[in-house]
Amino acid sequence: MGRLRIGFYGLTGCAGCQLSVIFNEDELLDIIKLFDIRAFPFIKASNDEERFDLVFMEGLVASPHDIETLTRIRAKTKTLVALGACAHSGCIPAYRSFTLKENYEHLLYSKAKDIADVEPEPISKHVKVDYVLPGCPPDKKEILHFMKEIALGKTPKFNHNPVCVECRLNGNDCLLIHGKPCMGPITSGGCHAVCVTGGFECWGCRGPTGDANYKAYIALLKKKGYKKEFIKTRMMMFAGKIQPEEMKACLQ
Amino acid sequence: MDALYRLEADKLDIFLQSLGPDIYAPVKTDAIRFQKISSVKEADLTALADVPVKDFFFRQREQLFKFTKGKIATEIKDAPFRIFFGLRRCDLNAVKHQDFIFIEKYKDPYYTAQRKNTLLFGYHCDEALNKYCFCGSMGLEEYHDIMFFDKKKYFLLNPGSKVGQKIVSEAKLKRAGTLKKKDTIPKGTDRLEKKDISKLFENSLWEKGADECLSCSACTSLCPTCYCHEVKDDVKLSDLKSGERTREWSSCQLKSFTRVAGEHVFREKRVDRFKHRIYHQLVYFKERYGVNMCVGCGRCITHCPTTIDFVSLINKMK
Amino acid sequence: MKADYLPQSVKVLQKRDESADTFTLRLGMKVDHDPGQFIQVSIPGIGEAPISISSYSKDYLEISIRKVGNVTNALHGVKKGSSLFVRGPYGRGYQMSKLKGKGIVFIGGGCGVAPLKGAIEYVEKNRKDFKEIDLFLGFRSPGDILFTSRHKDWENHFNVHMSVDQIPSKTCYSGNVGFITDTLNKTPIQAKGTVAFICGPPIMMTKSIQLLAAKGFKDTQIYVSEEKLMYCAFGLCCHCMDKGNLTCLDGPVFRYDEIVRSRDGKA
Repeated sequence: MGRLRIGFYGLTGCAGCQLSVIFNEDELLDIIKLFDIRAFPFIKASNDEERFDLVFMEGLVASPHDIETLTRIRAKTKTLVALGACAHSGCIPAYRSFTLKENYEHLLYSKAKDIADVEPEPISKHVKVDYVLPGCPPDKKEILHFMKEIALGKTPKFNHNPVCVECRLNGNDCLLIHGKPCMGPITSGGCHAVCVTGGFECWGCRGPTGDANYKAYIALLKKKGYKKEFIKTRMMMFAGKIQPEEMKACLQ
Repeated sequence: MDALYRLEADKLDIFLQSLGPDIYAPVKTDAIRFQKISSVKEADLTALADVPVKDFFFRQREQLFKFTKGKIATEIKDAPFRIFFGLRRCDLNAVKHQDFIFIEKYKDPYYTAQRKNTLLFGYHCDEALNKYCFCGSMGLEEYHDIMFFDKKKYFLLNPGSKVGQKIVSEAKLKRAGTLKKKDTIPKGTDRLEKKDISKLFENSLWEKGADECLSCSACTSLCPTCYCHEVKDDVKLSDLKSGERTREWSSCQLKSFTRVAGEHVFREKRVDRFKHRIYHQLVYFKERYGVNMCVGCGRCITHCPTTIDFVSLINKMK
Repeated sequence: MKADYLPQSVKVLQKRDESADTFTLRLGMKVDHDPGQFIQVSIPGIGEAPISISSYSKDYLEISIRKVGNVTNALHGVKKGSSLFVRGPYGRGYQMSKLKGKGIVFIGGGCGVAPLKGAIEYVEKNRKDFKEIDLFLGFRSPGDILFTSRHKDWENHFNVHMSVDQIPSKTCYSGNVGFITDTLNKTPIQAKGTVAFICGPPIMMTKSIQLLAAKGFKDTQIYVSEEKLMYCAFGLCCHCMDKGNLTCLDGPVFRYDEIVRSRDGKA
């Protein structure tokens, strides 16, 4: 079997997730040995778009151009990976869905009429997504681990454990107990709890775990003195477009 | 082993330093955890250490073996001589349980290598350290090389092993009476009522506990006796062939703990996972090995984000 | 029991496909074992998986594997003559010598037939030690039927009942169609002096137990083979613990009365 033909593409987003791939400086040469990087427009001058075994797609769908790129690449790709929070959940750019256009339009653009936009959505709303590497940005080691599993012929598994698991393994003291609105218990892990280990509470960038106890979590934050609106804003920030039914019900 | 010896408080540092360079004691950083100290003044003995000593012996991540191109090899190195000072009765018994399961029952070479050059110096609690302590209900025993009873101006030392006795003798400490059984149990720590918990499995109050549970695994990772683990392989990206197999702590509170091929989760319901932890600690382990696994330190309650007090839950069950 | 995670290298003597997703590896392993025990098979780098022994022989050991995960998929790529890493056998299997003089009803569904096959081969080798033998083997579709090369022999010695859940269109198949539990329901079986071995999907096991109970089988006459997530296989990692039972030590074969204690509200 030859090297897998892979590509890295970006839609609307900050390109930080593509940077996370490149931040694996020490392993880049090994990656090139294992994978044939056919396209990576962000860092490559010549890109071949013929067909792909694997494509990492960064960013969310926010413009007609995004839809065109996404469907074009998907048609040529065996396995599509949503790379990062925007592709996975729509992330912060999708937050505009939850307010009226006239509330923000004038703040951003002088000639709003010229901006072509569509309803911001995670890429799974438009095409089939095979794997998700969540996070804002995704953990560079997790990207590497994912590529390793693919190279080994394994089926990578999505980490359903909450951030707390790795947080505890890092020996951190629980921020919730100290009254901070940490979203660790309702957020999918895999990030090595990097924020909490750095003393900053989890904001849930990796999206909801499949096993969150929203009722108990919200009740706990209320007990710690947080208002319903605050809790809702925090929970919607990254998960607004991919809210599980149970979360929706608890935020009513 | 009930002799007591007197050590003046101002001599404690010299006494410990004379025994070796690697003295570990609970130190207050962001939380109270065991760290290497250069003077006993660094130790915080005002409360129960937030993080138990478990991961010094049963390490969070342990390499089982390395593999390279069809060959496997182990690399097990003994830990250096270490003294752990400031262990409470619950934590000493937790080490006892881990020694029992890893060394006596399973002759686990990895745990043994970390544990064997270690001395355990206890620090006696006169009374419960916090309102969630319940070690007095758990039938604990003496398990120390030396236990220190703090009498403010001086310490009374009770050697509990041959090595402990030798240390005390060599330090030429004076005999100071005899330890009475009743003085070994901290006061106000018997809050778990005696009842046949195995008969309460279908009690509806378990749901109350599970309703509050965030399934975050704080309880199991801070438990000094939990020993569940999973096994993982990792390979080097450069050749995809050489790498290592490791064991890592895992938690029965997570769905992934019982997920088999085809994504079927055996203990799917939160209440079943919640009950499983408590039953393993208080019933299943005892049925198999004759002793409670739980030592009553209460960390799974004090460190639970929603403070689920399973002890008072059980006390309420009829 | 010693905590020994180190596997040994063994040769793959033979490999044969049983169906589209299931295959058998014959390993050059000469070990004493009971049918129903399992081994831990690993490919370093991919991982380790518990697999039931599906043979009974002094000369070799066979495992029949369904491709359901990373390890089992990778095992399918293993070729005859190459090596695998193996630990075991582990667990409590079918203690056949204790069942001398009894009749046995085997009820297997899909790849659950694999662990039963070891016990069936034991009975073949010691036919006179046992009375009436019934095999109830159910598969999803004709293409999923396992161990077809052995069926003739089994039919010579035992009462074989086989059925498939469904027939895809354009399939040539003349056997029974329907759930194997329906066949079990319709077949008269003498409960006295008989034991039943069940292995298959959870729903099939539950149904079979109900049907056997209706035929007069007591819990102590029923043996079930359990499947759980396992890592260490010697009772230390605790993943396979169900109530107080460790599936890897006390099972995977349980007498049904040993695992039904929650019925009376006890843990």
